Amino acid sequence: MQELNLKVNGKEYTVKVKADMNLLEVLRDKLQITSPKVGCNTGDCGACSVIMDGQLIKSCVTHAMIADGKEVTTLEGIFSPGKLHPIQEAFHEVAAAQCGFCTPGMIMTVKALLDSNPNPSEEEIREGIAGNLCRCTGYTAVVKAVKLAAANMNGGE
Amino acid sequence: MEGKKFIKGKNVQEVIALKSKYGQKAKIIVGGTDVMVRVNSLMESPECFLYIGEAGLKYIEKKNGDIVIGAATTLSGILKSDLIEAELPVMKTVVSQIASTAIRNTASIGGNLCNASPAADTAVPLMAFDAKVVLVSERGDRTVAMDEFFVGPGKTILEDDEILKEIVIPVKENVVVAYKKLGRRKAESLSVVSVCIAVVKENGICKEAKIALGAVAPRPVLASKAAMFLQGKALDDALIEQASEQIEPEISPIDDQRGTRYIRIRSSKTIVKNLLKEIGK
Repeated sequence: MQELNLKVNGKEYTVKVKADMNLLEVLRDKLQITSPKVGCNTGDCGACSVIMDGQLIKSCVTHAMIADGKEVTTLEGIFSPGKLHPIQEAFHEVAAAQCGFCTPGMIMTVKALLDSNPNPSEEEIREGIAGNLCRCTGYTAVVKAVKLAAANMNGGE
Repeated sequence: MEGKKFIKGKNVQEVIALKSKYGQKAKIIVGGTDVMVRVNSLMESPECFLYIGEAGLKYIEKKNGDIVIGAATTLSGILKSDLIEAELPVMKTVVSQIASTAIRNTASIGGNLCNASPAADTAVPLMAFDAKVVLVSERGDRTVAMDEFFVGPGKTILEDDEILKEIVIPVKENVVVAYKKLGRRKAESLSVVSVCIAVVKENGICKEAKIALGAVAPRPVLASKAAMFLQGKALDDALIEQASEQIEPEISPIDDQRGTRYIRIRSSKTIVKNLLKEIGK
């Protein structure tokens, strides 16, 4: 067991982790932050996507100790009850979530995309979300939601 | 037994001292995107994770006319590099087709090479460019050709106390390069076949050629005979046709979940032909 110090969604945590633990296990099992999902556990599906020190990562293939001293943001960290993030609002508006399993990872991926490219083309959006599998929507509604979120965020604030 | 642990190496000296101490019990890790897949599925459980992501091994620089890339440089780092963009643009083409943004943000070029997958995408252009790798240990440094680095699936020539420090890529004059990756999905796709060809071309004549292929043998390979065949000749359609027919004996693909031996042989020939045509133009 080793001590891991990290900040998640603005809050400092110290947890004891086993040597084989990945960051997703720490978030879900140690901190009860459950928006990142266990999908494939191989880095293929994107359901566990979170942002670490400003960069999108897949938490299931990130060794927990790599997050030592770093700041992690999950979906829980970008909205407050009653006040959704503009990306969430857009997903809601165009019904870009069906079963919802991929949605937290998808939204974090979209956030990282829009943070670095506030006005992406359709191709850039499709490229940006290419590492996130969604088996319900066929992606059409997701792409539409990203466009709407980008427009709202550029015009709104 | 002290128990399993994760150690953050502070610099190269410390990393090689630890590697010397732990030997094969220490698994070098940067992003962990390959290692953790095996750890998550209980296929691997190293005594020691030796993390080198913050050990000063993330750099891309020009040294004596060569481009030198630190082993822990992330794939995103390569995509963002102005030096790569200006002098080795095909490397951007290759890296942009690996995995996805989230994986590229933490996965390193050194990890891609040391993981030694037969389908390692960065190995293919590096072999075509005649790149070298610098391996370091407490016993000293050695520089070996990229082609000599790979032994078989998951196996390299790295000794137990040794780490990959950097990759040295010579920048040659008059080189025309072409690359193609055949995958099954747009992102997160392991190559079915990948090919990179680099030709030194003068007045339409091929002075020197390198044809590198991934995912069609137990390790990334150079099709040396087909490349030799092109040397000193004009790259016309008839020559290209003949050269691509010579690829088959130089590869030994297998059937797996991504593609059959049959499709890999046919695709290899077709891709080599198309890339040579692109270069011949």
